[in-house]
Amino acid sequence: MVRKISIDPITRLEGHGKIEIFLDDKGNVKQAYFQVPELRGFEVFSLGRAAEEMPRITPKICGVCPTAHHMAATKTLDNLYKVEPTETAKKIRELMYNAFMFEDHTLHFFFLGGPDFVVGPDAPAGERNILGVIDKVGLDIGKQVIGIRKKMRDIITTIGGRVIHPVCGLPGGVSKKITEEERLEMLQVGKDGVEFAQFALKIFDDIVLSNDEYVKLITGHIYQHNTYYMGMVDKDNRINFYDGDIRVVDPDGKEFAKFKPEDYRDHIAEHVEPWSYMKFPFLKKIGWKGFVDGKNSGVFRVAPIARLNVSDGMATPLAQKQYERMFKVLGKPTHHTLAYHWARLVEVLYAAERIVELASDKSITSDDIMNIPTNTPVEGVGIVEAPRGTLIHHYNTDKRGVLTQTNLIVATVNNAAAICMSVSKAAENLIKNGKVTDGILNMVEMAFRAYDPCLACATHSLPGQMPLIVTIRDNKGAPIEVLRRDR
Amino acid sequence: MKAKVAFFDFACCEGCQLQVANIGEALLDVLDKIDVVEFREVMSEKSGGDYDVAVIEGSITTKHAIERIKEIRSIAKVLITIGACASIGGVNGMKNNFELPEIKKYVYGEDEKYFDSVPTMAVDQVVKVDYYVHGCPMYVPEFVTVLKHALMGIPYKAPEKSVCTECKLNENECLFDRGLTCMGPVTRAGCNSWCINNGNICYGCRGMLDDPAKTGQIEILKKHDIPLEWVTNKFNMYNKAKDVKENENE
Ligand code: SF4
Ligand code: SF4
Ligand code: SF4
Repeated sequence: MVRKISIDPITRLEGHGKIEIFLDDKGNVKQAYFQVPELRGFEVFSLGRAAEEMPRITPKICGVCPTAHHMAATKTLDNLYKVEPTETAKKIRELMYNAFMFEDHTLHFFFLGGPDFVVGPDAPAGERNILGVIDKVGLDIGKQVIGIRKKMRDIITTIGGRVIHPVCGLPGGVSKKITEEERLEMLQVGKDGVEFAQFALKIFDDIVLSNDEYVKLITGHIYQHNTYYMGMVDKDNRINFYDGDIRVVDPDGKEFAKFKPEDYRDHIAEHVEPWSYMKFPFLKKIGWKGFVDGKNSGVFRVAPIARLNVSDGMATPLAQKQYERMFKVLGKPTHHTLAYHWARLVEVLYAAERIVELASDKSITSDDIMNIPTNTPVEGVGIVEAPRGTLIHHYNTDKRGVLTQTNLIVATVNNAAAICMSVSKAAENLIKNGKVTDGILNMVEMAFRAYDPCLACATHSLPGQMPLIVTIRDNKGAPIEVLRRDR
Repeated sequence: MKAKVAFFDFACCEGCQLQVANIGEALLDVLDKIDVVEFREVMSEKSGGDYDVAVIEGSITTKHAIERIKEIRSIAKVLITIGACASIGGVNGMKNNFELPEIKKYVYGEDEKYFDSVPTMAVDQVVKVDYYVHGCPMYVPEFVTVLKHALMGIPYKAPEKSVCTECKLNENECLFDRGLTCMGPVTRAGCNSWCINNGNICYGCRGMLDDPAKTGQIEILKKHDIPLEWVTNKFNMYNKAKDVKENENE
């Protein structure tokens, strides 16, 4: 009898993000699957609507990273209407975007995934949250985290009007200029951010890197996959979150492909599994070989370690130093899933330094914020690096700009195959001959929390643990047994 | 005695809940009057059903959700909806532009039969709502106002006037004069013309005025030769759920 186990974290939009573990006849793990079905809904919703509504509609996919969808949609409109944004507009967008990356990454490190480390993987789940972090590192630091995140959100509010569902992005530019006074404020926040990021890296050093147990956990086998990596780079092959070409490296770290966003279809294909309503992106030129790693498998990964792996360095000096240090310890490319946490902090430092650079440039306050689109729309692609990895929007329209086709490949979906692999590895150890150990919740959680998948946003509430419901079903979908941890 | 407040979420992006989390100081002066007993719920009602005020985020999209919201209503003395999803159906309502089996098949494929789904509804299409906080995301100052009213037990209703009235007070240049189409003339005020202040058009996230022909800023539309229907049609981005007739999902 084939049994199916569903781990069903919270409902977000209708349709769940969930994990299903299929067992074979003997009751051992056959394969684990991770699914994020709700996006498909948005692709249907949008048909027949004006493309220009997309920067306002798609952020509603997720309240945690609306800025990523807003920006990807805005860039897709630039490309759809073949209008180049003004230099000032690009700078304003990138500045806001880096503030968003900073605040989202610090949210993850201090509130969501990071507490696994800072408080300790063996600590009771109820302590692995921001309160546990404050306990460990001190109240002052807790206040600093909250303070700097607020200031970063203020940058987003100044530029985008609001943090949740910003409104500044328009094809060809932005809706509002920034004043000299605002520029100076942002510059200061950027500087504070640089200081804070260095300090966060020091916490990571003191608590994680100086502890052999932790280092062993990071570099251990359970969480390792030798895959390809994908991320966006600037013209010098350094990380950029807002704009650039897409670069792919192989498991040895050698460049495998580099392409323009418009050409993503030549490089990324989507695999369909009969059991799932989700598609799994893979490298077209290698092909789909199943949920396996290695050079012959088209599975690739995105997000912090992927971005660091595909780049030749960081575009800012302090982040560059940290980049060098990380790879000195882990080797490049690194295949350790738990290194995502470390790479995330290196990116936080880069984001802050980039804010300082952009806000130091006085021309960012220019009035020249918009090129009016005049071309007839046909097709557009826009890509940004979301905190959770490469995010692709692709629209086709009729000549009035009404959507006829929409394809969204979100960051977490790009990582989906790898997340399935990580969850499988963790589950294999815990399900033997049909016996399911309770510990499965923790192990599975660690395995996919490192990716910061969007459904893990469930953890943004205290007490900081993921509400998980595990339903064991027979092959007809009828529940046999329910394990739950929802408090 | 402090009022016990519980937050529940249904189908939504959780943006409104994050707005609450980000409030900070504005909430502090009401905080000493309330006890938050429930912030994220899963399936079980964790507070053991002991709360006075239920704050609801998200729209009703499954049969299970219908049962849950009825249960919450039966316990709560006061029920507040926050955000467009809960208050008017919100973006999830766009689903209702399609046939349900069609969209279920698209989203769930062959597994379609395992998933329970009904046309999207606002909370007040299932149970009585005492207070509404509008917006997508909800407008925080309105949330604080509503919470204060609720705690004092006095009614509150968003003003029946259009976003244009606020927009004009803010001395924004009317976007129609720049050749854009803005939903402001028929959208319920109360957000202080948030989006227009930031250079973008109003998308009507606070919902349409109860009687746009009467309380709307129709003269703006007339001046630019735009029929009222044209603008109200665009409204289904947020308002579509309201087409579902009462009891249709029972
Ligand atoms: S109203 Fe908007 S911000 Fe609030 S939950 Fe719904 S989609 Fe998210
Ligand atoms: S139509 Fe829009 S821009 Fe014009 S006054 Fe009304 S709200 Fe303001
Ligand atoms: S201006 Fe319109 S779309 Fe913007 S918040 Fe107000 S009601 Fe919503």
